[in-house]
Amino acid sequence: MLKYILKRVGLSVLILVAVSLIIYFLVRLMPVDFVAANAGMNSEPETLDKIREQLGIGDNSFWGIVKGYFEWLGNLFEFENGFITLGRSFKLNNQPVSQVILQGLPVSFIVALIATIFEFLIAIPLGITAATHQYSFRDYFITVLVMVGISLPSFFFANIFKAGFGDGGLMESILAKIFTEGSSAYEFFSRFLVFPVSGTTDASQSATGIMGILGNLKYYILPIFTITILSLGGRMRMTRTNMLEVLNSDYIRTARAKGLKESKVIYKHAFRNTLIPLVTTLAGLIPALFSGAIITEKIFGLDGIGTTALNLTNNGDIPFIMGYNMFLATLSVIGILMSDIMYAIVDPRVKLK
Amino acid sequence: MKKTTKNTVYLTAHKTDANQCFYTELEEVRVENPREKASFEEEVPLDKNLKLMSPTRMVIRRFFRSKLSVVGLVMIIGLFLFSFVGPFIYHAVVPGLDGNGWQQDEKDESGRWEQTTSEYTYTVNGKEYTVYQTLEKYEKDNVLAKPSKLHPLGTDKSGYDVLSRLMYGGRVSLIVSFLAVFIITVLGVIAGGLAGYFGGVIDNIIMRICDILMCLPGIPILLIVGVLLNGWISKGYFFISGESRIYFLMIFISCISWPGTARLVRGQILSLREQEYMVAAEAMGYSTFRKIFKHLIPNVMPQLIVQMTLGLGSMIIYESTLSYLGFGVKAPNTAWGTILNLFEEQNGFEIAMANPLIWVPAGLCIVIAVLGFNFVGDGLRDALDPKSRR
Repeated sequence: MLKYILKRVGLSVLILVAVSLIIYFLVRLMPVDFVAANAGMNSEPETLDKIREQLGIGDNSFWGIVKGYFEWLGNLFEFENGFITLGRSFKLNNQPVSQVILQGLPVSFIVALIATIFEFLIAIPLGITAATHQYSFRDYFITVLVMVGISLPSFFFANIFKAGFGDGGLMESILAKIFTEGSSAYEFFSRFLVFPVSGTTDASQSATGIMGILGNLKYYILPIFTITILSLGGRMRMTRTNMLEVLNSDYIRTARAKGLKESKVIYKHAFRNTLIPLVTTLAGLIPALFSGAIITEKIFGLDGIGTTALNLTNNGDIPFIMGYNMFLATLSVIGILMSDIMYAIVDPRVKLK
Repeated sequence: MKKTTKNTVYLTAHKTDANQCFYTELEEVRVENPREKASFEEEVPLDKNLKLMSPTRMVIRRFFRSKLSVVGLVMIIGLFLFSFVGPFIYHAVVPGLDGNGWQQDEKDESGRWEQTTSEYTYTVNGKEYTVYQTLEKYEKDNVLAKPSKLHPLGTDKSGYDVLSRLMYGGRVSLIVSFLAVFIITVLGVIAGGLAGYFGGVIDNIIMRICDILMCLPGIPILLIVGVLLNGWISKGYFFISGESRIYFLMIFISCISWPGTARLVRGQILSLREQEYMVAAEAMGYSTFRKIFKHLIPNVMPQLIVQMTLGLGSMIIYESTLSYLGFGVKAPNTAWGTILNLFEEQNGFEIAMANPLIWVPAGLCIVIAVLGFNFVGDGLRDALDPKSRR
């Protein structure tokens, strides 16, 4: 087991090096000239070249890019206040990239975490009923729901939500028609049906960090719903397929032949075995929890890591782009590795070698 | 024999891979109390009760038995007709101003007067005065028109006819996703076929490349490539233009998303190459190329077709997401995602709220297309699965 893990970790490092090379070359080919775009209008070309040289992006030939890559690699493991920097952002005044990522992370993480909890709470029971009542109306209904869930493009659905329940959206105008604006009933209903759609902070709230996020929960409700519904379909389908597979196996027939109650067959014998793939996907969720949903965050104006990434990518901030993408790649490598290990831990029949 | 008699026994002939031996398999038996229909004396001989079905026909029968797959098929055919035949019909029915219908790059320049009244309140010496100011402005383009006979879905904020752009936009979205799926399949089949057939070092190399590509973060990488292409367009490299940008982007997506197909093909070939008919092929002295592409790949086809159909759905999502982010075809051309790009523009949300007919149909078209491909893909999966007996 330990040998297997070590081997996989070694392989993962190689994969990450290859991924970073690909991304670095792509980024360096980007003709968005950060230096020219951010320098003053009347800067001399020589000064610009000097700045480029200092930033390590002066030479755009093949070997120049290779050299720049190693320079970037060297800057990656620089430490500041005992904390790894992952290079320094061009755009944000030499701020360490790790710090920029950490600033956006709490918002993205909380939204993703709550959405994932909802997703599991809704998807697993629905998936199980669909499987136990195969080919019934309930099953068809859930199957269609699954399909709609995985077919919705995030930007369309998020905008529908925004137009329906956001500030200045459909729900607000309906409420304004039913009740007079400013009346207590209007206030009451709009608290539950109308949500702010831009920004993440209230002027009255002063707390920061996790507590600040919880205090400003209303800003996060629409994004959370969007992400939950978009990911619900896949999870339901997975649960249903797994449950069906287990229900068709021999030991379930034995359990039924013994004359066990149907509820006992399903929840004690079948469900426990469907937990195996579910638990392993928990590890696979690591990247989704930390990476931030770029499009949903952009539409609802959340200042999470996704919005930062979008802005800085458009600006050609090479250290940040590299740091962020490598952060994501590392997370997905860890996710794959963890889910393999979890699989071996949960299911004793699986042997890693 | 007529299909009305229900006591038919379907027998199916399966060709095995070796093309050599045949065996028959009972597909299903439906006997509806034959004694009621035929007395003992005039019993029909068994061979007349038999009906041979080819595997293809069986698959088609199973496919059409599921309502969802039929619905999906209707959706896709409908969308294809809508975007490829639709413009001709639309132009014939609504001649527009110049008599040949609204083209996608034709603005409605009929012009109109626009009145805006603003209200100002002043307080002078404790008295309140209200001043009304009405401005009349001539707009050259008939923008944001409400639905009328001339424009069934109105016009958008630049004065283009919405319905016409919806039809032409579908062409881009559909063509682009077919192109991407085609490239993914070709790359995936070649890589997976080689990896599965040769094994060893080649397998290892190809699978490690797959691992690397699978670790690339999807949307962030596409953002980088989108910005990259934008820069190249402004510098005039490689004949890339605003119209062809989305094609290049989709080709890039295809080049990084073939590992899924490759793994599928490899897995199947690993088990297929151990079968006896491959030993026979070896004994016949066939070339490696022939063994892989004539004997192994055809046996992976069912799974490949399913994968391709489902892939079409996800490619449409990718394409429209990129168009939404502004990397799509350039105006005056359009695609479904580009229409929704309205939200990202200045005052886009207010315009969208006031004119839902501009963007809701485009979004629905995307959903219908993806849903249709997913329904068909799922139906095909069930129909092609030899284990399913329904």
